[in-house]
Amino acid sequence: MTNEKLKKSEKHGIEEILSGDGAGDLLAQATKLGLSHEQLLEMFRTMCTIRHFEYMADQLYAAGKVHGTMHLSAGQEAVAVGTARAVRSDDYLINHHRGHGHFIAKGADIKLMMAEFLGKDAGYCHGRGGSMHIADFSSNSLGANGIVGAGIPHAVGVGLALQMKKRDEIVVAIFGDGAANEGVFHEALNMVALWKLPVLYICENNKYGMSMDVERATAKLPIAQRAEAYGMPWYCIDGNDVLTVYETMKEAAERARTGQPVLVETLTYRYFGHSKSDRNLYRSKEEIKDWRENRDPIKRFQAQLIQAGWLDEMRASQIDAEALKVIEEAVAFAEASPDPDPSTLMEFVYA
Amino acid sequence: MPVPFIMPKFDMDQEKATIVSWVKGEGDFIKAEETVLVVETEKVAIDVPAPASGTLAGIRYQAGDAVPVTAIIAYILKEGETPASLPKNEKASVIAAPIVLPPASAAFAPVPVTPVAARLAKEKGVDLSKVTVEGERITREDVERYLSNKTAPRAAPVPTSRVAVPATPAARRLARESDLELEAIRGSGPRGRVQAVDVNLAADQKSAVAASINDRPARLVPLAGMRQKIAERMTASFHDIPHIALTVEADVSALEASRISLGGLFEQEENGKLSITALLVKIIAWALERNPYINASLENGQIYLWQDINIGVATALPNGLIVPVIHQANKKSIREIAIALGDLRARAQENKLSLEDVQRGTFTISNLGMFGIHQFRAVINPPESAILAIGAIIKKPVVIGERDEVAVRPMLTATLSADHRVIDGVVAARFLQDFVQGVEVPASLSY
Amino acid sequence: MPEITYLEAIRQGLWEEMKRDENVFLIGEDIGRYGGAFGVTHGMLDEFGPERIRETPISEATIVATAIGASLLGMRPVAEIMFMDFVFLALDQLVNQAAKMHFMFGGRTNVPIVVRTPGGSGTGAAAQHSQSLESMFMHFPGLKVVNPSTPYDAKGLLITSMRDPNPVVFIEHKQLYKTKGEVPEGEYAIPFGVAEIKRPGKDLTVVANNVMVPRSLAVAERLALEGIDVEVIDPRTLLPLDTETIINSVIKTGRLLVIHEACQTGGWAGEVIATVTGSRAFDYLDAPVRRLAGKDTPIPYNRELERSAVPQEEDIEQEIRAILAGKY
Repeated sequence: MTNEKLKKSEKHGIEEILSGDGAGDLLAQATKLGLSHEQLLEMFRTMCTIRHFEYMADQLYAAGKVHGTMHLSAGQEAVAVGTARAVRSDDYLINHHRGHGHFIAKGADIKLMMAEFLGKDAGYCHGRGGSMHIADFSSNSLGANGIVGAGIPHAVGVGLALQMKKRDEIVVAIFGDGAANEGVFHEALNMVALWKLPVLYICENNKYGMSMDVERATAKLPIAQRAEAYGMPWYCIDGNDVLTVYETMKEAAERARTGQPVLVETLTYRYFGHSKSDRNLYRSKEEIKDWRENRDPIKRFQAQLIQAGWLDEMRASQIDAEALKVIEEAVAFAEASPDPDPSTLMEFVYA
Repeated sequence: MPVPFIMPKFDMDQEKATIVSWVKGEGDFIKAEETVLVVETEKVAIDVPAPASGTLAGIRYQAGDAVPVTAIIAYILKEGETPASLPKNEKASVIAAPIVLPPASAAFAPVPVTPVAARLAKEKGVDLSKVTVEGERITREDVERYLSNKTAPRAAPVPTSRVAVPATPAARRLARESDLELEAIRGSGPRGRVQAVDVNLAADQKSAVAASINDRPARLVPLAGMRQKIAERMTASFHDIPHIALTVEADVSALEASRISLGGLFEQEENGKLSITALLVKIIAWALERNPYINASLENGQIYLWQDINIGVATALPNGLIVPVIHQANKKSIREIAIALGDLRARAQENKLSLEDVQRGTFTISNLGMFGIHQFRAVINPPESAILAIGAIIKKPVVIGERDEVAVRPMLTATLSADHRVIDGVVAARFLQDFVQGVEVPASLSY
Repeated sequence: MPEITYLEAIRQGLWEEMKRDENVFLIGEDIGRYGGAFGVTHGMLDEFGPERIRETPISEATIVATAIGASLLGMRPVAEIMFMDFVFLALDQLVNQAAKMHFMFGGRTNVPIVVRTPGGSGTGAAAQHSQSLESMFMHFPGLKVVNPSTPYDAKGLLITSMRDPNPVVFIEHKQLYKTKGEVPEGEYAIPFGVAEIKRPGKDLTVVANNVMVPRSLAVAERLALEGIDVEVIDPRTLLPLDTETIINSVIKTGRLLVIHEACQTGGWAGEVIATVTGSRAFDYLDAPVRRLAGKDTPIPYNRELERSAVPQEEDIEQEIRAILAGKY
């Protein structure tokens, strides 16, 4: 759907976007996008992995094994995988608290993620950060932020450094619909546009901040349209169709790489509550059911692959089971890992 | 294998949930994620989804039951499985063992414990086997109750002595170091606070007083070491012991003669001088044998009449005096006593006396005769009860014989100081009588 | 040795380091053609160009955030927050982000940023442009807090700040910008956590920061004529704080007076006093430990009121005399 149409439509255009055909003919699209059979299956596998990671996290919590809380992104796999495949592996990632999927899609070591989850010393952050602060600097994953929106202006700095050093990576900064109303969102978009920085902003609009419907929180939708105020190009797409995401992000990333920052809004949905103390009182069971059954990104992709003859039910189950196994092995690794030594409490306060 | 359906945890601090109603029943086919039952926590009602697809079986709890989190509430049978494949459950009651987590819990309790309680116990180092339980399993309240009982406030030991004088920390330190009492120092600070300068002043005054009394010049010798010890002991002796002193004179002509002739022998055999002290020690040892109360000590309310006769001989040193002891003097010959005496004296001068040499004395003799002192009174050497002070041998005119003729004889004056608590005048007198006897008639020692 | 102003010393430090290390760049409001609100960056735009003297819109939070983001890629930005009072707009970035990232990420990354900011009263700038907030910054583990009082200290500490891998808050004082002192040309770095005894003495220890240092020294010189010998210690860095020098000084003099412009309640004087009285210095105290601080009020506009809100030389002298006379 074009931006012009979106701007004119009454309710954000979400219905129109989401009821679109999405990928259409998968084979044709894949060819157009230059994606091979293996790559598509790998994308499918990664989506299953993310789904299982999130569900396993939930189970671990229900079993009393996780200290604290967590913010699960089950239902948003297409955004993570579509984006990660579209950008380069050395492009920088600034993530947020609901970002396990993005880490996994960028190639994080699931064992180390799980260990960090359980607060173990073997975890990515030596058990100091937990679910909300996972980072892998060696692969340019610059960490997840627990303050809503705080990563948005970090992208300005990363983009600035990339520009000053004349490098050709870009920085992908992810935030949610709620974060778009933080003051720094506006400061940052203004500055990346002003300085023409290589930044790809992705607003994962999953319809809810914590409990507040995006329509009650945002004066004018779509959120992405705000980019116009800063002279930035923007897109608003169906975030649950992985190939749409892939196509859009590829284009957006290339633009960012030339020094033209872009804002992409992906419409998606989360199945779990905001965090573990969320009772889902602010949305109906029917709505959750509707998204699960009719708009689930993994189901849709699987259907497309099967229709194109590149996957069958059995192989799909197999890939899914293999993904689950990876998660289970990660849990075993994490549970067997030791806690940090208490005498190292003060170790990372100063560099 | 049937999949266990556990009561999940929704809140960080949650321990149990109450079943409101079962949406699905025993034998129903359920799909994963489908709501199977509704439960209530402290906060609100929650739909509990199935963890897997299959047939619901082996339901263990009913509506209204309060179920601990992570307890198995039912099973989900996979295709082909039957209720017969369910794990046996003797009592479908709340005593069914739940999964005790976290897995690495150091405190293993035979009584089931909730995850929250297990974690709290581990954190606080509580031995769960010591925690008393209200219900069927140990909850957080039980652990908290145990902890509050355990750490009942124990009154801090009140320091027994507290100086309630306003004084700065520096003043207190200086007072400690100078061994001054804060109460005795006048404070110049606000509200009479003792300041460092006040303590310094007091310390200066203290040493100034010692240095010049009535403005007369003196060289200061600190009372330390041996001097101090002697001072302490003399004070104690004089203070504690009621001294009586009895004096006798003895004609030492015979003693002198013995000394000269035995001295020749000693010279030949031992190559040393035989002093008159050696002879006196022998005589005194004999006299002490006959007068046990002189060889005694009063201690712990009892008089010890020592079996051994260990005679100390007061010896002058450059800085004071020391009393080496001749042990078992009554069992030694004159020659042995003389040898011992010579050895002790020599070692005393070289500062080589051992502790044994000065211990366990039962009687002391002190001889100032070599300085021409006729007679003197010594201070008893506690814990002994008597000391014999021996003066110089002086030729004196004495009256002898039946016709009261005057002759010149060598006379020795000896004064016995005795502890009147132990030794009465008569007892002391008898000892001295024996002493004189022994001195004037050497053959008495074989009596 | 050349004598230059505190402001020039800071400029010199920035200038020379930027020449040495191409990763260093400045970011802040009006630091380009305008030369900075107080003139610190005057002339630097022409030397280094607009990329490295990066002017921003009025967006304090993003100024600090940009510095953070750039530092993650190995650059060494020096951000300027025009007035210390504005730092509140950037506190999330400074405290929740910069101070904690090295820790939360298990030591896997550093945030080597410097945030320069002038504070202090005396210029009639009133409540929202006159605060002294060093006590607040000290409270956030992960930050370092630097507070020079002389041109020499300013340049040396600034160079160390730019080379430190941790986020550093570099606090300047508006009233010190024009003060002069000898500053060596070229490179020298003053280590953090080393206090300087600006004036040795034996009767009383004064611990003071930024503008209170020259005031205390002036008072000390006057009192010296009467035979009163005051020791003046400038901590130079409040975090890390050189407690050993202060403790040893108090052991020597037995009396302590801590002076700062920041408001008394919750002020860092309490921190120093707690440390000293809880240390072995306790046994050497011969007078109650005192502090002289800004009154617990926002800074007023009226000149005389403004003056009376913070310790002046006469207040310092009065307090020292009172302590020595045993008034407390």
